[in-house]
Amino acid sequence: MATWQIAVILVKIFLIVGLFQGAVAYMILLERKIAAWAQDRIGPNRCGPLGLLQPLADGAKMLLKEDVIPGYVNKPLYILAPAIAIVMATIGFAVVPFGPAGLDAPTVNGNPIHFQIAPNVDIGILYVFAIGSLAVYAVILGGYASNNKYSFLGGLRNSAQIISYEIPLGLSVLGMVMLARSLELNDVMSWQDRNGLGPIPAWGVFVQPLAFLIFLVSAFAETNRLPFDLAEAEQELVGGFHTEYSAMKFGMFFLGEYLHVITVSFLTVILFFGGWDAPFLGVEDTSWIAAVLKVGVIFFKVTLMVIFIMWIRWTLPRFRYDQLMNLAWKALIPLALLNLVVTMVLIQLFRGVG
Amino acid sequence: MTLLDSRDLALIAAIVALGWVGIWLLLPHRHGGVKTARAYRVGALLSAIAVLLVLPYLTPPGDLLARLFFYSFSLLALLGAVLMITARNPVNSALWFAVVVLSSSGLFLLAGAQFLAAGTVIVYAGAIIVTFLFVIMLAQSHGQAIYDRSARRPLAASLTGMLLLGALISAIIAPGATRKDGDPAPIYSVGAIADQPPADGPIAAVTAQALTETSRLPRPLEQGETPAHVAGLGATLFTDHLLTVQVVGLLLFVALIGAVAIATPKAPIRPDRSTASSSPGSATTNPGGVS
Repeated sequence: MATWQIAVILVKIFLIVGLFQGAVAYMILLERKIAAWAQDRIGPNRCGPLGLLQPLADGAKMLLKEDVIPGYVNKPLYILAPAIAIVMATIGFAVVPFGPAGLDAPTVNGNPIHFQIAPNVDIGILYVFAIGSLAVYAVILGGYASNNKYSFLGGLRNSAQIISYEIPLGLSVLGMVMLARSLELNDVMSWQDRNGLGPIPAWGVFVQPLAFLIFLVSAFAETNRLPFDLAEAEQELVGGFHTEYSAMKFGMFFLGEYLHVITVSFLTVILFFGGWDAPFLGVEDTSWIAAVLKVGVIFFKVTLMVIFIMWIRWTLPRFRYDQLMNLAWKALIPLALLNLVVTMVLIQLFRGVG
Repeated sequence: MTLLDSRDLALIAAIVALGWVGIWLLLPHRHGGVKTARAYRVGALLSAIAVLLVLPYLTPPGDLLARLFFYSFSLLALLGAVLMITARNPVNSALWFAVVVLSSSGLFLLAGAQFLAAGTVIVYAGAIIVTFLFVIMLAQSHGQAIYDRSARRPLAASLTGMLLLGALISAIIAPGATRKDGDPAPIYSVGAIADQPPADGPIAAVTAQALTETSRLPRPLEQGETPAHVAGLGATLFTDHLLTVQVVGLLLFVALIGAVAIATPKAPIRPDRSTASSSPGSATTNPGGVS
């Protein structure tokens, strides 16, 4: 591997990590503004114009607060848990394309520049799921190491939830994978761009509507967003698995959760909303202007998705625990299997058409 | 005929002996008692020397970065394995097991086996070890039990393990163990058998009758071409190993039926009226209950 390739990869890593960590700060502000709007309040407006400096104040508060480690915790695991949360949330981005990558990547001196940290990974989606399945360690260890019944209950609830909802999440994606005949996220995007009926693009939401619904519900459960945030139900568990955490250790759990929201939004947009696909952009446009436009389109769609996720929070009440498990095992998994079988049969019948 | 020269033999003997004593010292006491800090220190030192002696037998990949990652993952996997069997807290043991699994999948990635790496992480680290953790945490509500803190037959167990390791290393480094280009492949795929000129006897009869065109890979791999990981794996599984896949599927199905048969709640001998009437939820969750 040449030195310039390593340099490009490092630049991409710093860019992506910095950008998304900064985005998380403003997502928290956005969340508070949307919450205020839903509850007919004004929301944070003291720091700077329209409260735009609020994330800085929040960050400073997180970093400067006293970091209390209770005496009864299992100290190595207690410190490890938030680190796992943030590391797993961050390295999941490695295979997520944030612009044109693969075939339609723009070139410098004939060398393609992929808008993806690790391009040409054959198993893109599997990698994301593997990292996602590791994120459960943060919750389970946080709950266990705190040595506190409420934290432990929260951790147990959440890990059972994450393990259960991983199954419909994985099954729902397989339909798109079979259609695109690739596990690579670039190929899924370019398949959605290349196919389609006239002006209607072959976005996943049109060709796999049931899979989209299952994916969306499971994704909410995986990120612990509100209809499924039993792990941190304040009324019952005093906060859940992070009750004993303070200052930046709590902040790291928080950051990890919002990074998960970004990852899930990216996956939804890439798998079901065509990624960078827009009516005027195609896989054959490989100029730098098209690349910048594609990055803009994908970030616009991701922003809409993030706002949608925050809006849902104030629309649906929280599930009860048995309802949560019934939904996963009795509704979503059979539906996902049905979707898989129907897709298989249709692909086999119409092979060579699409 | 000697397979190993005396230097290799001495090194392997040293690995076995040092590892045996070191791991025996590191393992918990037979009755769950506490050992002195000096015993742990000496054990850690000897085990570390044994782990370092294994390193020369590894064949790193060519690239500098890849070599760096290779040695980090190897060391981490070996250390994690030692710490997993010697940890006194079962939760820590499970976590060190997760470290071993993750480092091994890192090595798989370096070897180009992407699907294997992802599958290992998803299945082992993401599902199995999490289940272990569940069970261990829920079983530990009253402190650690004596059977968690004690080691059973530590001396004999560590000797057996290290002898197995020594045998593995000697089998791997023995001359003739690595295949050269001209040698025939040790494992035949159906495709390879089909390409051979027809022989006499039972092989010819089987290949002539059992093989159709679908039981071959589309085409052999060109030189310097990266294999399509998942597609290639799927093609191999459903052509060369079709019968194995079906047998394994049947086995899993039988296990599933067995699990359902065991886990279904039996009708209680004496119906518990107090819970059945008090909460509306329990009436639906116990359909087999005698009313």
